[in-house]
Amino acid sequence: MAAQAKMIKNTGWRLFLQTVIGRAYPRVIGTQRDLSWLFFDIFFPFMSMIGYVFVYRALQAPEEYIGFVVMGGAMTAFWVNILWSMSSQLYWEKETGNLSLYIMSPTSMMAILLGMATGGLFATTVRALVIVIVGSLIFKVAYVVTSFWLLFAVFSLTMVALYGMGMMLASLFMLLNREAWHLANLAQEPIFLLSGFYFPISSFNFWVSLTASLIPLTMGMDAMRQLVFPSGATLGFLSVTIEVLVLSGLSVLFLVAAYFMLRKMERLAIREGRLTDRLN
Amino acid sequence: MNAVETNDLSRIYKVKKTKKQPAKTLVALNHVTMQVQQGELFGLLGPNGAGKTTLMKILTTLLAPSSGTASVMGLDVNKDPDLIRQQINMVSGGESSGYGLLTVKENLWMFSQFYGIPTKMANKRIMELLKIVGLDDRANTKCSDLSTGLRQKMNIVRGFMTEPSVLFLDEPTLGLDVGASRDVRQFIRSWMEEDHQRTLLLTTHYMVEADELCDRVAIINQGRILACDTPTALKRRLQHDAIFNLLVSTLDDHDLDSLKQMPEVRLATMKPLEDGVELEIALEDDAALSTVIAYLTAHGIRILNLSKREATLEDVFVSLVGLSMKEVENGSPG
Amino acid sequence: MEIAVENKDLRLKRFWKTFKTSAWLGWQIESNWTDWFLFIIYSIVKPISGAAILIIMYSIVSSQDFSSPIFAYIYLGNAFFIIVGAVVQGVSWGVLDDREHYRTLKYIYIAPISIPIYLMGRSVANFGTRVVSVIITLLFGVIFFKLPLSLARIDWGLLTIASILGFIVMADMGLILGGWSLIIKRNAWNLGETVGAAMFIFSGAVFPLSVLPKALQVVGYAIPVSYWLTLVRRAMMPENAQAFPMFAELSNAQLLLILGAAAIVFTIVAVLIFRYFDYLARERGNIDMVSNY
Repeated sequence: MAAQAKMIKNTGWRLFLQTVIGRAYPRVIGTQRDLSWLFFDIFFPFMSMIGYVFVYRALQAPEEYIGFVVMGGAMTAFWVNILWSMSSQLYWEKETGNLSLYIMSPTSMMAILLGMATGGLFATTVRALVIVIVGSLIFKVAYVVTSFWLLFAVFSLTMVALYGMGMMLASLFMLLNREAWHLANLAQEPIFLLSGFYFPISSFNFWVSLTASLIPLTMGMDAMRQLVFPSGATLGFLSVTIEVLVLSGLSVLFLVAAYFMLRKMERLAIREGRLTDRLN
Repeated sequence: MNAVETNDLSRIYKVKKTKKQPAKTLVALNHVTMQVQQGELFGLLGPNGAGKTTLMKILTTLLAPSSGTASVMGLDVNKDPDLIRQQINMVSGGESSGYGLLTVKENLWMFSQFYGIPTKMANKRIMELLKIVGLDDRANTKCSDLSTGLRQKMNIVRGFMTEPSVLFLDEPTLGLDVGASRDVRQFIRSWMEEDHQRTLLLTTHYMVEADELCDRVAIINQGRILACDTPTALKRRLQHDAIFNLLVSTLDDHDLDSLKQMPEVRLATMKPLEDGVELEIALEDDAALSTVIAYLTAHGIRILNLSKREATLEDVFVSLVGLSMKEVENGSPG
Repeated sequence: MEIAVENKDLRLKRFWKTFKTSAWLGWQIESNWTDWFLFIIYSIVKPISGAAILIIMYSIVSSQDFSSPIFAYIYLGNAFFIIVGAVVQGVSWGVLDDREHYRTLKYIYIAPISIPIYLMGRSVANFGTRVVSVIITLLFGVIFFKLPLSLARIDWGLLTIASILGFIVMADMGLILGGWSLIIKRNAWNLGETVGAAMFIFSGAVFPLSVLPKALQVVGYAIPVSYWLTLVRRAMMPENAQAFPMFAELSNAQLLLILGAAAIVFTIVAVLIFRYFDYLARERGNIDMVSNY
C-alpha cells in the first residue's frame, strides 16, 4: 500500500451539512429506485382522506368541512413522515446495527435525523401536493387565500416546530425496543384527533384546545384554515398573529429541547447498554 | 501516551425479574486493567461470553462502565466521547449495517460523510480499499445482492477508510471463508506497517488469528484478564510442558481419569475419532511419556500414532482456565 | 429406504399443530412488548381515539344529536371495521415481521409445515386483540353515547354465521396480500393499510354506499366485506339497518348465501394466488431479503 496523504476531516457546520446530505441520500435514491412508493405513499393517505370526506357528505356538513378534510389529509403526510420515517426509524437503525455506527461517528444525531427528514421530504411533499390538488379538484374545494406569504410563513414555522418535535421523539425511541413501533402506532390517532386534522379545534373546550396547541400541527392547521377558507376566521381557535407567535416559540423550544434530549437519551442509552439491544 | 488504557474497569448488567427467573446481576467485565501502546496490534482472546465485545463497546463509547475508568488516546470514555469518536472506528463480525438498496460504493460514501471526509477524497480512498480487499468489481453492486462474506468485506473497508488513530475490530473474520480471512489478516498487517502510529485492538476466538497477527495478546474469560503478553512469551510459560498427541485404539472415561490422576500428567483430553481415539496429554517432561505408555500397554490399549507438538495459545488458555475454549462455550466440565 | 406417505389424519394433525404453534408465537409477539398495564392502555386508547375522530366530526355537524340512526350506523361500522383491518393486514404483517425484523422467514420456509397455515395462525393473536378492541369500543359507545345496543335483541345466530363467513373471506384476502408481500420490497409495509383504506370507503363501513357517486357504488357491491357489515348491522341493530337501505332488496338468507359463495371463491383464489406469489418469491430469492432503508 502506498503511503496515504493525510486525510482531511471536516468538523463543525461542514460536518453537519455533509451528514445531512449523506443520510438524506438513501431516502432520495429510494424514491428513484423503488417506485412503488408512488402508489402506496399516495394512494393510502388519499383513500383515508376520501373516507372522511364522505362521512361529512353523509352527515350533510357544510362544503367547507370537505376542504378541512382535504387540507388535513395533506398534512397527515408530514406527521406520518415524522413519526414513521424519522422518530421510530431509529428503532430500525438499532435493529440493523446502524445506530451504533451513527453514535460512534463524530457527527451529531440531529444531523442524522435532519438528513432522514430531508430525504423523506420529497416523497412527503409529493404526497401532500397530490392530495391537495387532486382532492380539491374532485371535491371542488374553493380556497380564498388572504395572504400567501403569511400562509407560507405559517407552513414553514409549522414544519420547523414539527421536525423539532420529531427529533425530541426520536431521542425517546433510542431507548426503546419493540415497544417503539407500538407506541408510534398508538400516537397516530390521538394526534389526528387532538390536532384537528379533520375539524377545527375550536370544537373542543378551551383548555383541551390549548393543550392540543402544544402540537405544532394543531396551531399550524388552525392558522392555515383561517388563511385559506372563508369561514376559517370564525372557526379559528386563536388569531393568526398569536398562532404565528406560538409556532415561533414552539420551533425554538422543540429544537433546543431536541438538542438536549438527544444528548441526554444517548448518554442514558449508553449507560444502560441499550444502544445495541436487538431482537426484543 | 497509551492508545487505550483501562483501570479497574467493570461492567455489570442488571437483569430484570420476569415470571420465569428472579432478578439477577451479570458481571460482564470484572476489574479489568490493561494498557495498549500506540502503534500496537493488540489482541483480546477469549471464548464467547468472555466480555470481549463488552470491553469493545465501552472503549468505542457505546456503553458506559459501571465502575473504573477507560480512556482512548488519553481521553476518558465518559467525559470526552465526542473527541474520542473523531479518532476511532469499529468493525464487528457478522454486521448487517448499511442499506440494501444502495451500492457498495454509495454505502461507504454515506458513512464517510459522517466523518467529515470530503467526497473526492472519500471516493478515492474507498476505491483503493475496495481493490485491496478484492471488491472493486462489485463497487456498483447493491448491498442486498452481496453474500455475507462480501458484505463483511465492505464493512471492513468502512472501518479502515476513515483512517482512525485507533481501530477496533470485533471478530472481523466471522463469517468469512478461509481465503477471505487470510486476505483480511494480510490487509490488517500491511495497514499497520504503513503507519506505526496506528493502533488496532482486535478481538477473536480464533487462536491462529491472535497468534499470527498480534504484538500482544490478553486472554480473557468470564470478564477477567487472565494473562497478557506477547504470544511467544505466553506459550513459553508452557515450554517446560511436553505436549503429545497420541492416536490410540480405544480409551474410555475411566482410563482418562486414571491418566489425569498420574502426578506427571498436567492435562489430558480425549476425542473419539473414526479410527480410534485422539489423546492429548501435557506432561511435566518428556521422560514421563514412558509412564503413560506403560499404562496404556498394560490396559491393552494400542498406540497407533504418537507425535509431539509445540504449545499453542489454546494450551495457554487451557492451562489458565482448566478447560478448552470450546468446553467453556459449551458450559461443560470437560 | 421407505418413505412414509402421510395420510389425511396425520396431515390434519400437522396442520393443527402448525396453527397452534404459530398462534402461540403470534400471541407472544403481540403481548410481550410491554407490561400489562401499558398493554391494556394501548388496547383501549387506540380504538377509542379512532372512534373519537368520527364522534367529534359527527357532533360538530349534528349538534351532538347522538340518538340519530346515522350516528349508530357510523359508530357500529367503524367499530367492526377494526376487525377487517386486523385480519386483512395481519397476514402480510406476519410475513414482513418474520422476514425483515426477526429474519426467521427462511427457517419457517424450510420447515415441513404449510406456510399459509403458519401465517394464519400467526395473525390470530392480532385478530383476538382487535376483537377485544371492538368490544371496548362498543361498550364506550353504549355507556357514553347511548348506542342502542341490547344483548337481548341481538340475533346471535345470524351474527355468528356471518362472522365465521366474514372471517374466512377476510383471512383469504389477508393471504393474498401476504403472498403479495413476499415479492414487494419496502412498501410492503403499507400494502395492508392501503387495501384496508380502500375497503373503508367502498364497504359502507362509516357511511351508506348511497353517498358515493353511482359509478363507485358498484365497487361496494363487489366487496364481500360490504355484505358482512350489513349482516352485522342487521344482527346487532335491526332497526338501524332498516333506516339505511343498503342491500334492502336482499334478505338475510340471500346475503348469507352471497357471503358463503364469496368465502368459497376467495378461498380457492387465495390458495392459487398465494402459490403463485410463493413461487415468484422463491424464484427471485425474496424469502430472506431485507429491504428497510
